[in-house]
Amino acid sequence: MNALADKHVKVITGNAAAAHGARLCRPDVVAAYPITPQSEVVEQLAKWHADGSIDCEYVTVEGENSAQNVVCGASMAGSRAYTATSSYGLVYMYDAMLNTAGYRAPVVMVNVNREPPGIHAVCSGQQDMICVRDSGWVQLIAENCQEILDLSIQAFRLAEDHGIQLPVILNYDGYYLSYLAEAVNIPSVAEVDDYLSILKTQPKRPTLIPGQGIGCGSHGIGPGFVEARKKHMDALDRVYQMVDDIDAEFDQAFGRGYGGQLEAYRCEDADIILVTSGSAVGTARTVVNARREAGIKVGLVKIRLFRPWPIQRLARVLKGKKAIGILDRSLCFGWGCGPLHMETKAIIPTIGEFIPMLGFIDGLANMDITKEHIDKMIDDIYSASKGNSYQEVTWLP
Amino acid sequence: MAAKIKKLPKVCDYFQNEDQFSSGVAYCAGCTLELHARMVSKIMGKETVIVGTPSCSAPVLNGQNAAAWHKMGHYACTMTGVASSATGLTRAYQKAGTDATVVCFTGDGCAQDIGFQTLSGAAERNEKMVYICYDNEGYMNTGIQRSSATPYSVATSTTPVGKARKGKETGSKNLPLIMSLHDIPYVATATLSHLEDYAKKLTKAKEKSKEGFAYVHVFCPCLVGWKIPMDSSIQVCRAAVRTNFFPLWECEDGKYKITKEINKPKPIADLTQLMGKYNHMDEQMLANFQQIVDRRFNVLQTLCSI
Repeated sequence: MNALADKHVKVITGNAAAAHGARLCRPDVVAAYPITPQSEVVEQLAKWHADGSIDCEYVTVEGENSAQNVVCGASMAGSRAYTATSSYGLVYMYDAMLNTAGYRAPVVMVNVNREPPGIHAVCSGQQDMICVRDSGWVQLIAENCQEILDLSIQAFRLAEDHGIQLPVILNYDGYYLSYLAEAVNIPSVAEVDDYLSILKTQPKRPTLIPGQGIGCGSHGIGPGFVEARKKHMDALDRVYQMVDDIDAEFDQAFGRGYGGQLEAYRCEDADIILVTSGSAVGTARTVVNARREAGIKVGLVKIRLFRPWPIQRLARVLKGKKAIGILDRSLCFGWGCGPLHMETKAIIPTIGEFIPMLGFIDGLANMDITKEHIDKMIDDIYSASKGNSYQEVTWLP
Repeated sequence: MAAKIKKLPKVCDYFQNEDQFSSGVAYCAGCTLELHARMVSKIMGKETVIVGTPSCSAPVLNGQNAAAWHKMGHYACTMTGVASSATGLTRAYQKAGTDATVVCFTGDGCAQDIGFQTLSGAAERNEKMVYICYDNEGYMNTGIQRSSATPYSVATSTTPVGKARKGKETGSKNLPLIMSLHDIPYVATATLSHLEDYAKKLTKAKEKSKEGFAYVHVFCPCLVGWKIPMDSSIQVCRAAVRTNFFPLWECEDGKYKITKEINKPKPIADLTQLMGKYNHMDEQMLANFQQIVDRRFNVLQTLCSI
């Protein structure tokens, strides 16, 4: 118990980091169903619950659909609620996720990215998070185990902020991060309490209290419904600034900042940029450093906020560049490219100029995104920046 | 000489709370749902949070109909998420130390079919709540389609009577019995013709929900779907009990008990003749139906003798 309460450094997996992140925020209600590669999160929380080292209602539901309904109901009744899932578990929650977002229940959910479809698709890929893109949730993506823990804490801070009141998904790559063990700084409960204490100073959000004749879920039809949807969109607009601010506050409190909506790595003087997210960023950063030493002016953008899409900040980073590459770990059906690629294309009017964009689809179904792959991507982007013709979408390997 | 005090009907003794509904609620004329909903609120009280889904009760419970209202807390969710949403609510109140009775109020379509997994899951976890299923033997709100509660031979819009087939070919799923096998503190069946029996059971269900899961299955005719006249729904309820088609029983802490013994059960035709949905039945079908009713009642009697 004491060991858990104190600040310490430990070599732990991404899943354990997620569990610690949840524990430190002291949720009132946890409901989750095990699924590979997320199971360790559920098991770790169950163990702490059995030991009495976390004080929450722990609901061992019979499926993910129930997990989502439990956390939505609990959140609307005033609880801090947490769940974790992956892949088919995520899409099995879909109907309930629409309610959680529509009811503005500030639930925090971890999604350990895994491919659907197929019984053998027990492997990494970001298709699951793409499937729930338009559900109205905020979506964040972590790069490594430390960031999983830190973003878990930031996710509660963001979801429950009075100006936001939206559910948040924290995504991280299955296998590459879920089972990767790294040294992680684990803050103390007191430090996290302190970081989240600002939420207590804000007005209380509306909750369903017995005996008060308050209803939940009665959006009605016509103007009432439209008003609720418009307010939801406005809250998503406020997420941009809030994500940047929260990250800065976090940096001040814990000495670790990540750049808010996105991290622009060696982008300022860069001619060409590679955009990607998740665990691939680590490999990409290594390659970018090597190519910089070889004289190629290449920069790297790490997308941390996927929904809402960081339109303005990304456009500012990309403006004036000679060519852009986008590395996707999932597919955007109907556009013939990856989703990050499609979203980047959509901000061309905001960038205000046409820049050659090259999409790369790699890392599906546990196919490693290697340094060689990224080298090739940078070669292609560089060539396009020199005015050569280029292939719009390239599948690797 | 002592003044004569007019004794109220006994069922009112169970009404510890004021009616939580406004007058003129928006159910079909003659539907038992209004009586049912008012009864639940008078017994469960103001501290109730009602959990419901899109269904016949939704317009009144969840405020889609501005002309009808009630004073209770209410939570609307998807068909699949009633018992699980209620789990979230009841756990949140337990964690916060808030006094509340969480009551799920759904039709058979949700309880028996699309919401069955979550109902079974919540019962197995023994969540502290009352689940009331108003069984109108089909998906009435969406246009009278069959459900797993639709009895043998019934004509619905998805089991119509035609030249090759005559209504539903299988019997119904015996949900109250299935729920009792979840080893929960309380299960009961009830109907609107036997209000005192129902009131007692609701009172007990509320009490038992402080310990765990309480399930009440209520036979609740639908005039439109069953093709019965506006003034006959209570008569149909009574016939369902007298034919042993819908016996009134309870199972408290594993002990089964019939709460309304029928000395000389009437033949099933006494029930089927009251409704248009059985109009197509011939002698053979009636005999088959009688067999189903008898077999089910035997199982119940056996359980009660343990």
